[in-house]
Amino acid sequence: MTQDDEALLRVTGLTMTYGTGEKANRIIAGLDLAVRAGEFVSIVGPSGVGKTTLLRCLSGLLTPTAGEIRIVDELVTGPHPDIAVVFQDYSRSLMPWMTTLDNVAFPLQGRGVGRTERAAAAATYLEAVGLKGQGAKYPWEMSGGMQQRVAIARALAYQARILLMDEPFASVDAQTRFDLEDLVIDLHANLGVTILLVTHDIDEALYLADRVVVIAEKPATVVDVIETGFGAQRDQVATKADPRFSEARARILNRLRVQ
Amino acid sequence: MMLRLPAARWIVLLAPPALVLVLWWFLSAASTSVFFPPLSKVLDALVRDLMNGVLPAAALFSLGNLFAGLVIATAVGIGFGLLIGETERLRLSLEPLIHFARSIPQVALVPLVVGAFGLGAGPKIATIALAAVWPILLNTIDGVRGVDPSIRRVSRAYRIPALLHFRRVVLPAAMPQIAAGIRVALPIGVTVMVVSELFAANQGLGYYILHSASKFMLPETWAGALLVGLIGYALALLFIVVERRALGWYFRSGAK
Amino acid sequence: MGGGAPVVSGLGKGLGIALQAGIAAVLLLLAWQLAHGIGAFPAAVPSPIDVGRAAGDLLGSSRFWTAVGQTLSVALIGWAIAAVIGVLLGMLIGTIPLLEHASSVLVEFGRSFPMVAILPIVILIMGANARMEIFLVALSCFWPVLVQTIYGVRRLDPAVVDTVQVFRIPTLLRVRRVLLPAAMPFISTGLRVASSIAILVAIGIEILSQTPGIGRQITLAQETAHWDVAFAYLFFAGLLGWAIAGGLSAAESRALRWNRRREG
Repeated sequence: MTQDDEALLRVTGLTMTYGTGEKANRIIAGLDLAVRAGEFVSIVGPSGVGKTTLLRCLSGLLTPTAGEIRIVDELVTGPHPDIAVVFQDYSRSLMPWMTTLDNVAFPLQGRGVGRTERAAAAATYLEAVGLKGQGAKYPWEMSGGMQQRVAIARALAYQARILLMDEPFASVDAQTRFDLEDLVIDLHANLGVTILLVTHDIDEALYLADRVVVIAEKPATVVDVIETGFGAQRDQVATKADPRFSEARARILNRLRVQ
Repeated sequence: MMLRLPAARWIVLLAPPALVLVLWWFLSAASTSVFFPPLSKVLDALVRDLMNGVLPAAALFSLGNLFAGLVIATAVGIGFGLLIGETERLRLSLEPLIHFARSIPQVALVPLVVGAFGLGAGPKIATIALAAVWPILLNTIDGVRGVDPSIRRVSRAYRIPALLHFRRVVLPAAMPQIAAGIRVALPIGVTVMVVSELFAANQGLGYYILHSASKFMLPETWAGALLVGLIGYALALLFIVVERRALGWYFRSGAK
Repeated sequence: MGGGAPVVSGLGKGLGIALQAGIAAVLLLLAWQLAHGIGAFPAAVPSPIDVGRAAGDLLGSSRFWTAVGQTLSVALIGWAIAAVIGVLLGMLIGTIPLLEHASSVLVEFGRSFPMVAILPIVILIMGANARMEIFLVALSCFWPVLVQTIYGVRRLDPAVVDTVQVFRIPTLLRVRRVLLPAAMPFISTGLRVASSIAILVAIGIEILSQTPGIGRQITLAQETAHWDVAFAYLFFAGLLGWAIAGGLSAAESRALRWNRRREG
């Protein structure tokens, strides 16, 4: 585990237990994690390992039973202004009664940003995710992939330093998924935002991230960390054909199989 | 489901109504206003007239009318609803008329029917039935239309006779919707019952309320209103229990 | 329910259905006329021709329009008061689970209480006037609005709840831009139900207490045995309820386009 002193996000000894006594169900035990500013980290693990619980803790929606989460030096005790979340369920996390533009501008409205300013910012971020001029549409008038782009734009518009993504491409078709993955890589390179992505898909985790954190076991804990080293430029064909890619994938698969 | 609540939940559930009664008791205790008699006097009147048979007789008359009206409305509503719902042409032709009939404020029938046919039970039963039939009819039509086409195909594939198909397939499948219609009809029936007795009657709960008010016997008036409220509430609860029992398959299947 | 027939294959089919419905209505009127002609109905039932004539006369009389205005304004004011209080209180109760649980018996009692039962008391206290009528209309309309609002607020999607929390949306903004619109499909059902209750209760009170309005005119016509006039009023009362329900449905499907689309 990299115990980098300059970590933007640092998780130490995170433990989450539901219930007490005999019925106690420990989901996460003593999980450590550090993410540097500007880094892209994937957390990969099998379904049902507690990824969602971990993400809810990180986003401040759940208070961990033990351990702490810090952003620089500040303890995270609830939803934090430096954390934006892209939810898995875009079709339900976007408000169907708001236009796309209003959806993206909504977090800014919550911060008290004026009407024209937030509309301009929302338009900028919509353009950044490839939805220029689509602000007047409603989410339900768009395809699943486009809706997830709106959700990403909304998270970006919040201008948090850390972007948490919870299985963001789990419910779109393969081609759309590749497009969205490349979009996220571009956004990461251009905007310098720190991204922590949770997924069960090993290829996706490897393809996107600078570093892949493998979690497994019950209760969940970190079992391996892999630096991908593919650099800023990636390609759906070339990167995935890279020998280092298949090597890393084999290593993760073995890791998860042993468990 | 309601009976398995832990004790703490029961307390939270029942404390507010108890609090309302206690507040009413103490706030009205020293009341000298004719209009707001002390709750103790209201309860005295309630208990006295319940014991001497005045209120039970009144309630019997009112509830008898309500029951008869609802039974007629349910029978007619379901019967015609099944027929209209199964016959596309009939449904398309009659639906606008039914929607219009439903829109007539049901209490407006009271002076016409009761005014023309007198004080007896018959006209009151008729107005209650006439008011309560529409939601049952419309919901039955909706329920019949909503029967899953694949269930209908089963009937056809196994060559189930028409009557058996109606009784064992369409009716049960439409039953949740029909029950919802009866649940809507219930308070309408209660309201029309009260209005018909307040309009013109010589017995019944509405008459008891009106008669005592006209004699400025306000404790009796409040007692009558309280009893009507309790009966309305009891009927609503009773209906939920019956519905849960009769439609157990529906609630357990999670279709709701 | 509501909204009439679905438009399947365009205007032609719609016209055909309208024609069928028209024929059905005419047949029904003919049957009524015939039954009246052979004396199958009691004397109190007028012929449809008489009712039609009386309805035509009413349209030209100022007394009719005054009565409609009185009933409508009382119903509208009472409904509006109930709407505001019901929605505000419903949002409060719906967002706090403990409050929702604690209030459930009182709410259930209130909604099943036939408010006309306290009419004699309310008349004694407030007098037989428009103020009293508005009070009882509001009291009757309040419950469906309250119940539907609580229900709508409680059904808020957990994903939306998470989103609002993560982006730290302040309370007032959350109520205005999330809670209210999310519950709106249910609130508007409550408002629609309340609108028919408003007309029903207003006319009921007018019948019983002789406060001015359509209900009083019906009673007057009945007392003087002008059955055709009474039936004509009944017809217009139905038309009024039908128009209001239709208008609210139309407004609802426009304002809640997002809801219909999502379900479709």
